[in-house]
Amino acid sequence: MNSSRAVGIYRTLLRVYPRRFRDEYRDDMALLFAEQLHDGSASRVWARSLIDLTITIPARHLEAHMNRPPNPAVPVLFAALSVTGVVTAILAGSNLAIAGFGLAVAVMAGVLAVASWRTTRAVTAERPASAHWWQILLGGVGVLATTIVVLNIIGEVPDGWWVPMMLTLLAGIMTTATGLILGVAHLTTHRPHNATG
Amino acid sequence: MPQPAKPLPSASLHIVLALLDGESHGYALIGRVAELSDGAVRMGPGTLYGTLNRLVDDGLIEETTDRVRRDDSERRRYYTLTGSGRAVAVDELVRLQGLVHRIAAHLPGGAIA
Repeated sequence: MNSSRAVGIYRTLLRVYPRRFRDEYRDDMALLFAEQLHDGSASRVWARSLIDLTITIPARHLEAHMNRPPNPAVPVLFAALSVTGVVTAILAGSNLAIAGFGLAVAVMAGVLAVASWRTTRAVTAERPASAHWWQILLGGVGVLATTIVVLNIIGEVPDGWWVPMMLTLLAGIMTTATGLILGVAHLTTHRPHNATG
Repeated sequence: MPQPAKPLPSASLHIVLALLDGESHGYALIGRVAELSDGAVRMGPGTLYGTLNRLVDDGLIEETTDRVRRDDSERRRYYTLTGSGRAVAVDELVRLQGLVHRIAAHLPGGAIA
């Protein structure tokens, strides 16, 4: 295999690196590979380069993934799930199994909400994801109100409808909680400033 | 008591030590690292540029490609240690010297054969 064909194949293999790394270093890496081919045994250079690619491609992808900015919606969803867990526990009444499950979900989701909020607050400060809080709140309240009205109209839940009805109620509670949390976060962090001087 | 700085990963250590001689480009760096390690460390392009990228992000090295007029017409990137990079490289050398001395002191006869 001639040298330019080998470098062409190597350049093709470099496409597997994350785009940002590839765009930055592809030419340098190909030049380095060509120089190594020029000065050493082709089979040794290929063997070393293939091992190098096998080790470094997953490493660069992992780095790229870890450097990606966190999603600001994650802490809000965990917080809403936590509130839903609390509401489920309250609604469960004397059913200790469901109440315990609701509380466990509330605690775990609450911890995850705090942990993810700590990593995303810089991002949320720059890019407010909470501006649509009132739409989410209205959506949640709308789902809850519709479900309650339907329940009142039909009087008794037909067989097989209990689970979908409960899931709809839980979705409504979770959406309402998300809207409330976003609203509080938005109104406390984006208060209008008085113009001075 | 101040905490000692965390040792550099192996590839980063070899590169900052190789750059103590002055600025260098990728191919020369690989050769210098192989020479300093007596042929034990032979970096591939992915390892080299991944490590250089991290060292630039950490502020230990900087690119000097456009700062100096080059004799060759090739589009190579040149790198050099920053002030803090040089300090880290010297700290690492001192740490390694201390390690060798302490190990030698505990060996029978007090020296490495």
